[in-house]
Amino acid sequence: MKRILYTILLIPFFAASLSAQWMVSGKVTDAKDGTPLIGATIEEAGTLTGTVTDFDGSYTLNVNSGNAKLIIKYVGYAMQEIEIANRNVIDVLMGEDGVMLEQVVVVGYGVQRKSDVTGSISSVKGKEIEKIATSNIEQALQGKVAGLHVTPASGNPGAGAVIRIRGTGTLNNANPLYVIDGMITYDASLVNPQDVESIEILKDASAAAIYGSRGANGVIIITTKNGRQKKGGQISLSTYYGTQTITREIAMLNGQQFATAYNALRGQNYYPDPSIFGEGTNYQKEIFREAPIYNVQVAASGGNEQTTYNFSANYFDQDGILKNTSFKRGTFRLNTDTKLNNWLTFGNNLSFLISKSQNGPNVVSSAYRMPSVLSPYTEDGAFTDPTFFGLALANPLADQFYKSNNFSNGERLFGNAYLEAQPIKGLRLRSNFGYDRSRDKSKFFEPEFAVSASQRNGSDRLSVGQSAGNNWIWEQTVTYTFDLGKDHSLTVLGGYTAEERSSEWIGGSREHFPGTVDELLYLSAGNDTTQMNYGGAVDEALVSQLFRVNYSLKDKYFLTGSVRRDQSSRFTEENRTGYFPSASLGWNLGRESFIEGLNIFTDLKMRVSYGILGNQASASTYPSAGVVSSGLYGVFGSTESLSQGATLLTLSNPNLHWETSSQADIGIDASFFEGKLTLEADWYRRLTYDIISSVPIPSYVGSQSNPVVNTAEVLNSGFDLSLKYNKAGTFSYSLGANLSPVHNEVTKLAQGKNEIFSAFLQGEPATHTEVGLPIGAFYGYQVEGIFQNAEEIASSATIGGEKPGDIKFKDIDANGVIDEDDRVYLGSPIPTLTYGFSFNCDYKGFDFSADLLGVSGNKVYNSKETFRFAVYNWEEHVANAWTLDNPSTTEPRVTNGGHNYRVSDRFLQDGSFLRLRTLSLGYTLPQSICEKIKIGSLRIYVSGNNLYTRQKYTGYSPEFANSSNPFEVGFDNGSYPIAKSTQFGLDLKF
Amino acid sequence: MRMNKIFKPTLITAITFLLVSCSSDFLDRKPRGQLTYDTFFENEDHALQSVNAIYNIFRSWEFTALPYLGATDIISDDSDKGSSENDALYLAELDQFQSNATNATYSSMWTGHYQAIFRANLAIENIPGIEMDENLKARLIAEAKFLRAFCYFRLVQWYGEVPLITSILTEDQFFSQQRAAISEVYGQIEKDLQEAIAVLPESSKYAAADIGRVSKGAARGILAKLYMVKKDYTKAVEQCEAIISSNEYALMPSYAEIFTSKGEQGPESVFEISAVAIQAAVAGPGASPYNMVQGVRGVPNLGWGFNRPSDNLIAAYEPGDPRRQATVIYVGEILPDGSTKVEDNPDILNERYNQKAWVPKHAGLQDNGPGNLRLLRYADILLLAAEAYNELGNGAAALPLVNQIRKRARGTNNFILADIATTDQAQLREKIRKERRIELAMEQHRWFDLVRWGIAGDVMRAAGKPFIDNKHERFPLPQTEIDLSDGVLDQNNGW
Repeated sequence: MKRILYTILLIPFFAASLSAQWMVSGKVTDAKDGTPLIGATIEEAGTLTGTVTDFDGSYTLNVNSGNAKLIIKYVGYAMQEIEIANRNVIDVLMGEDGVMLEQVVVVGYGVQRKSDVTGSISSVKGKEIEKIATSNIEQALQGKVAGLHVTPASGNPGAGAVIRIRGTGTLNNANPLYVIDGMITYDASLVNPQDVESIEILKDASAAAIYGSRGANGVIIITTKNGRQKKGGQISLSTYYGTQTITREIAMLNGQQFATAYNALRGQNYYPDPSIFGEGTNYQKEIFREAPIYNVQVAASGGNEQTTYNFSANYFDQDGILKNTSFKRGTFRLNTDTKLNNWLTFGNNLSFLISKSQNGPNVVSSAYRMPSVLSPYTEDGAFTDPTFFGLALANPLADQFYKSNNFSNGERLFGNAYLEAQPIKGLRLRSNFGYDRSRDKSKFFEPEFAVSASQRNGSDRLSVGQSAGNNWIWEQTVTYTFDLGKDHSLTVLGGYTAEERSSEWIGGSREHFPGTVDELLYLSAGNDTTQMNYGGAVDEALVSQLFRVNYSLKDKYFLTGSVRRDQSSRFTEENRTGYFPSASLGWNLGRESFIEGLNIFTDLKMRVSYGILGNQASASTYPSAGVVSSGLYGVFGSTESLSQGATLLTLSNPNLHWETSSQADIGIDASFFEGKLTLEADWYRRLTYDIISSVPIPSYVGSQSNPVVNTAEVLNSGFDLSLKYNKAGTFSYSLGANLSPVHNEVTKLAQGKNEIFSAFLQGEPATHTEVGLPIGAFYGYQVEGIFQNAEEIASSATIGGEKPGDIKFKDIDANGVIDEDDRVYLGSPIPTLTYGFSFNCDYKGFDFSADLLGVSGNKVYNSKETFRFAVYNWEEHVANAWTLDNPSTTEPRVTNGGHNYRVSDRFLQDGSFLRLRTLSLGYTLPQSICEKIKIGSLRIYVSGNNLYTRQKYTGYSPEFANSSNPFEVGFDNGSYPIAKSTQFGLDLKF
Repeated sequence: MRMNKIFKPTLITAITFLLVSCSSDFLDRKPRGQLTYDTFFENEDHALQSVNAIYNIFRSWEFTALPYLGATDIISDDSDKGSSENDALYLAELDQFQSNATNATYSSMWTGHYQAIFRANLAIENIPGIEMDENLKARLIAEAKFLRAFCYFRLVQWYGEVPLITSILTEDQFFSQQRAAISEVYGQIEKDLQEAIAVLPESSKYAAADIGRVSKGAARGILAKLYMVKKDYTKAVEQCEAIISSNEYALMPSYAEIFTSKGEQGPESVFEISAVAIQAAVAGPGASPYNMVQGVRGVPNLGWGFNRPSDNLIAAYEPGDPRRQATVIYVGEILPDGSTKVEDNPDILNERYNQKAWVPKHAGLQDNGPGNLRLLRYADILLLAAEAYNELGNGAAALPLVNQIRKRARGTNNFILADIATTDQAQLREKIRKERRIELAMEQHRWFDLVRWGIAGDVMRAAGKPFIDNKHERFPLPQTEIDLSDGVLDQNNGW
């Protein structure tokens, strides 16, 4: 208080200073959350020249020359000295404590100044993801970072995303590792996006190798908000409410068109007058709905010299656009830091969440399939039985009605506590204990019902399940910074960590309940002769040592080296220990006089790194154990009873170990125009080898599946480019762009196996992975045209049995018949380019932002169109089917499966899209009004997510992550589509 | 004071390091709730379970469903693929003799049977070392040997020379196995069956709870078949007569009832794998897909409609033979349980179904069929005996055997299926073969018989199939197996 008073008193003196030759302006903000710091002092070193920041943290100062140095001070924050270096705009981020915060990034087991970082790390601030209405942090990252490809797992409320950092690195588990406040997990769904302070994406080997056998697919470090040292505290409330709808509908045949097509299929006028059906039923309208989404967050934060804290409580409630799906979650978080004395600090980050979801059936494909001539209900109100058109049809509305009493509840306690000691200058000893405990329950009651012979449940049944996860990690780290004078800086980190992960599950079911009301739906109420139960568990452990050295010379030359030694319980004793080294160099060219002299760059840094990382997640938990399978019952006796059978089915490989990636990275960080324009560019080459793959052995060995060995290789190479332009002032704006071209290629498969066929559709493989092609490349026949008449068929290569109007496939090998050898590479499911753009601006309290994202170069396979186990509805293009009167050259005659539905490029579509991810308009009340009504600040806004998508694909969205199997990516089997939404919200601070 | 500040945290850290690093047990983790090969084969239960697991695979897809029916019935003149035109095209290729070595039928039969052999080898190798009741131990090993022999017998009939694997291979042996001479495979089958016959009890000696385990009679029956293939008719007669004189078996009075639940493990059953459909919640642990894949397509039987009795088969029945009605379900026919009429399904050409695989509505829902798999019937033994006697020139001994079969089929209707009277060897051979075809139609024996008789080419060409002599008598080894062997395995002639 005294300090502020003092600075205010000084203002007249500063203002009076004259004879300025260089003007510098900028904004002083909190490094952690970007809030403007009001009343920070800016002084020119060695002079009396100075000023204080205004209510939005801005300052303008005239100094003697462009070579002067600024000193910035603010109570509770570290003092900073900044060389002006001929810049006109200097935005200053102020950090707490003694840690120098020019701009700090979180790295593995520590923090580093951005300017000192030699690895490839991208940061996303919590603010940047706030505008996306989702419960899931993974989905929120889509389009934000170069090199990060995010595919929403589905539109199901609470669903996560499939994240690939710098391409798909393996044929197995290519998911990144998450480190949340120092606790390691593979599942970040627990994080409430509004609690996020920053997210760091460790992309190259230098950054990620410290995570050793789990770093190969990249590491995402999430840091949650803590309080700041301020007098008193701050309470904030933010909330939004919105509605979601489906992004688009798939154009299907209407009733009349279906009846016409059905007549053509049967070759007779089954429906003498198709027109009586008119539009028929649009089942998409029946199963989808407009659904609300609601979020409220209350947070209190603050602190004093000894303690800082942040408490938040969040409630998120989302109904799905598919009826009977919803997700509700309450999250509580308490983060504290306490200085116990002048050398000991204690802190914790603790979160607890409870969630409940309703898991109604995914009826997207059954709605897609229902012939539009059928209305969902019969005249007497029962569900229509659609099996006239085949058994493999289910009335989607009946499924929604009978199969929606399906709920799951989750609880998760996740967090860490640490004790840090600084006994002598430069030495920090830290012991961190992290804990992740989850409890999940599921309960599904399906009543007895019968809609048709195939859509029925003969006996009511309650199935319940519970699972419990317990993971802990204990890390001891020692950091020592040597005092070597002003030219040299040397910091050494050593650590020892141990962790254990386990989970256990149990479940059961019974039938014949005395009623269907919730009070009766507990297992004991069911018939005990129908009971079933199951249970199991897995566990694993990891012990590691880690070491890192950071050296810098004259703040120009940087060297980082690290190594981690992991011992994993997944592998046998002989194969369990691995070393994962990395090294990187940085050269701050911008501080060399010959670059300064060019007057082009404000900053310029080059980085080079190389390292070895591992991926043990591709191995199963006990890959080397020869597990004896049970449940292989024999049936014996006059009563035909089950007699337990068990034996070894598969030969295991005791020599299995993790997969390994070597990654090289060359990067440039540059800024221009006094720092307004920044560029980050990286080239990388990541070769994953020893990829775990099953090696084909002769079937006569008798092993039920092939043994897995470390054998295959996959190469990912590409560029990550980010550009940002910031303009301060009354009208301030920023533009950002990120681009990531990726090349994915399999460079080696298992010995004796030069190709992997997968994604079988009607017995034919739709992907073919071979050396030289991307993983899971599409594969099949090429459509050449439509046979117009019998003569054309007779004179062309055929499969046999083609009729006029059928597809003519290309005879690739020109041998006169269409056979397996005519199948070719048709395209890749992996985008060659992913990109994102962002625009933000502020003008007199109004703020506007827009984010776009997209991918290109990939194909998607409309596989839902190819399953025809009954006479399903067709997509609209079938209305133009070939007939004698309509000799189409693109659309074959109406058939139901068979020749025209073979795996071919007929069903392959362009997967490129460009999406308006967010659009947001807000208004912040002027400070003067806020003061009058005694609030800190108030912002109100409207925003929209996924409002517009430009795509060629005829389905809901060309993004589907329905399979984690990399050989089966890019198939649209009818997954839950993502929604578009509009929200209204407010952020209030007291 | 200063020292204290350094000392304390250092001590804390050091202790922690010690705590977590001292135990290497920390990193030794074993699968939870599951035995591993290291801990298996240690007691009587394990022995029993490992043998039950062999029986288990006899209800698998490979042993009961599409590729199996393809390899036995559909490939023969008895049946066509069935189902809708484009469903499971590989079976159509097989049916039309247009398949190549990549056809799924060949790889499924190869793989499935070698997996069964793997399970049998595990039991045969490991049970001897278990301390347990010696009688049970001997019986279990004998059961495993029978099941192994059964698999090799099928393999050798389909593929000819096959690798003879009688132990669990180690990694260095994976790629080096050569095809064993047919005589060597026969030798192993004969040895296994003889050893099984020496130990296995007769069917009636099994406890009620063990009905369905292989018996002495079953082993004799398969051995008799082996001798028939080897054209060693004397030994075949010997085994058949041993079965007949054991008085363990009899023909069921009603032919149609054999294939109903009444006939399951009945007096006529020599080797039969039991199946049971339990509540749908249990995903088919006791059942098989055999009934589903051949079931009446569509409402109400939820079948897939594969393995359609061919026109050729239907034409082969003598007028009025009631076995035709008991074998074939036609459109418009009321289902055997009277539940409903079979409606015409426009997706299926000339719809027709295998009634022997038909089961009424059951607890297992569609994919979980309860029908037992009748692998060897007493009627089969009688016909084998008749055939063997005739080949030995003893038509007089053959006649009563084959006429027993006709008599049972005839029932009380004396206007049909008159007794065979000829003892002319060639004529009687034809009659017995025809009787065998009709009696065992759609029971997956026909292809083996055609090949055994050496008439597959003539018969199949007569049925309009482009059968190539010296090629199609044998299945090709699966192409993947040839490719993997890198020259160790050669392909059959013509493939």
